Amino acid sequence: MSLARRKFLQLLGLLGAPTVFLLVFFFGPLLIMLVYSFLTPGLYGGVDWIFSHLNYGRILGWADTRYEKFDPVYIAIFLRSLRLAALTVLASLLVCYPAAFWISRMRPGLRDFAIFLVTLPFFVSLIVRLFAWVLILRPTGFLNQGLMGLGLTDAPIEFLYTDFAVILGMTYVFIPFMFLPLYGSIEKLDMAQIEASSDLGATRLQTFRKVILPATMPGIVGGSVITFIPALGNFIVPSVLGGAKVLMIGNLIEQQFLSARNWPFGSALAMLVMTAVLVLLIAQFRLAGREERS
Amino acid sequence: MTPFDTHPAGVFPAGLQDRKIMPSPLEIIGARKAFRTPEGGTMTALDGISLRLASAEFVTLLGPSGCGKTTLLRTISGFETLDAGDVLIDGTAVTQMPAHRRPVNTVFQRYALFGHMSVARNVGYALEIAGRDKREIRMRVGEMLELVGLTGMEKRSIAQLSGGQQQRVALARALAGKPKLLLLDEPLSALDKNLRQKMQQELKALQRELGIGFIFVTHDQEEALTMSDRIAVLAHGRIQQIGAPAELYQTPANLFTADFLGESNLLPVTLDGSAAQLADGQGFAAVRPAGKATLLLRPEVLSATAPERPGLSFTGVIRETYYTGTDHQVSLETGTFGTIRALLRTGNALPGIGSTLTLHAPAEGLHLIDEVAP
Repeated sequence: MSLARRKFLQLLGLLGAPTVFLLVFFFGPLLIMLVYSFLTPGLYGGVDWIFSHLNYGRILGWADTRYEKFDPVYIAIFLRSLRLAALTVLASLLVCYPAAFWISRMRPGLRDFAIFLVTLPFFVSLIVRLFAWVLILRPTGFLNQGLMGLGLTDAPIEFLYTDFAVILGMTYVFIPFMFLPLYGSIEKLDMAQIEASSDLGATRLQTFRKVILPATMPGIVGGSVITFIPALGNFIVPSVLGGAKVLMIGNLIEQQFLSARNWPFGSALAMLVMTAVLVLLIAQFRLAGREERS
Repeated sequence: MTPFDTHPAGVFPAGLQDRKIMPSPLEIIGARKAFRTPEGGTMTALDGISLRLASAEFVTLLGPSGCGKTTLLRTISGFETLDAGDVLIDGTAVTQMPAHRRPVNTVFQRYALFGHMSVARNVGYALEIAGRDKREIRMRVGEMLELVGLTGMEKRSIAQLSGGQQQRVALARALAGKPKLLLLDEPLSALDKNLRQKMQQELKALQRELGIGFIFVTHDQEEALTMSDRIAVLAHGRIQQIGAPAELYQTPANLFTADFLGESNLLPVTLDGSAAQLADGQGFAAVRPAGKATLLLRPEVLSATAPERPGLSFTGVIRETYYTGTDHQVSLETGTFGTIRALLRTGNALPGIGSTLTLHAPAEGLHLIDEVAP
């Protein structure tokens, strides 16, 4: 057997199974959704095989004027999702950056334990954890009782079913996603460079801006992307903590598939979310590539 | 030269000289520093070190690892605070001054260059921080790169540079802000031998050209001997001896310095006030208080031919010889003194291994140390 053939067979043995799996169970369904998004909804669910671009028109502005006027509500929901996801990224960054810095400077044994603690929430069901937040945030919950007990407020404050609750919940859920890439780049930070900066006359703030921040930028960008994408499409957190008031694009898609039984419209929404994510990813790769070259 | 410069241990009583009239580029007075070890004990890194630069000197802090030389350097740069004592730069106490305000710059052991910046931004960093205008920075960066032989490399990224080039960038970066004193923390240890020797010569030339003090930390005695105006030999948090390279090499004040700098044969002697006597009965004149002492014989003072002035001689059997081109390294097995090492000029025929040889030491090549070798 020739060497090239052996190499090919090795590659096939190693990558064959995952490739087939991804093709059948990931790309296949995506392709089906892409096709469905251009079809007409069936009367009792499912699809009728009649081409239609109106699923996209309903979202982006060329509605079927025979039945309804264009309603920008879907664009509004999409923009709200972008805003909430972006604020979630910002909040996670503010929590995780100092924490990652602090943990990376601990002595090794303690450090490993702290990283274990960060990933600990994964061991408990997401639904259970989110309902725990309901207990904390509801009008008779711990937070309001605490605030009233301290005399800071007379009547309970509406935390639950607000943007705040959704951002809080998503930040809580995605903290490990933000933490790990951040920690990866902060841990690699060369302490000697920080000393060198100080030696050359920089204050702590200048050192942070000119040395630490640029050196940890890959972790910041990586953590932000990996947090932003699932936050944008998330529907569990907004349905538990946002209720009917804070609808995100993920909830809308879920509704179209499960209650409205309008699969083509749900597929069209999903495709738009995916396009947004893809554009973001491409932008990030471009940016990272340019940084590496310069 | 003040009387303090010749003080053997380098300890100068504080306040005895007027620091305002003749400010020294660097003065360290009674520096003490202890660290807590992870096991809960304490480790004394600096045990009362005093040091004064007479002028813009090239001073090397030489010692084995753990002797306190890096800690001493870091107290000058401001990265360590002293438990007691003072650091003065140009006559001004900087003991309590944070690192970023001290007028000294450091070349770090592993360079610590900023990987996300170009060569030009690295070199211009101190000026950028000081808020100088772009044109001035560009000019100064150009000058600095010319100084270290990297003209035209402004736009390169750090990852594109070889180890030697990175070393030069680190040097240019540390000098760009015109420090009053340059600190170098084993900067040549990562370079290969040829490059290291070249950089040693360049550093020395650079120091003369710039006319500022260089404090150079190394554990490499050869490096220290080559470059320094003065060497401070450190061990156990103390300065064992400070002086010119030749002075330290030829007339070390103690056994540590004798042993740490170069090769040495250390032979026990007994003093009777006017002469010294070796274990085999040979003697030579030495006016010193009676007692025990150690005779230092450098390998290169020994020769196979008898000198005009009678000195000492040692007869033994040749155990090993190595040919180095200019010299033969000879290990001579003597009955009384064990192995004596000698460096003999090539050119004269050398008897083979196993034959008997007599080596002679001239009277002027003998140096006594008032300590007893263990």
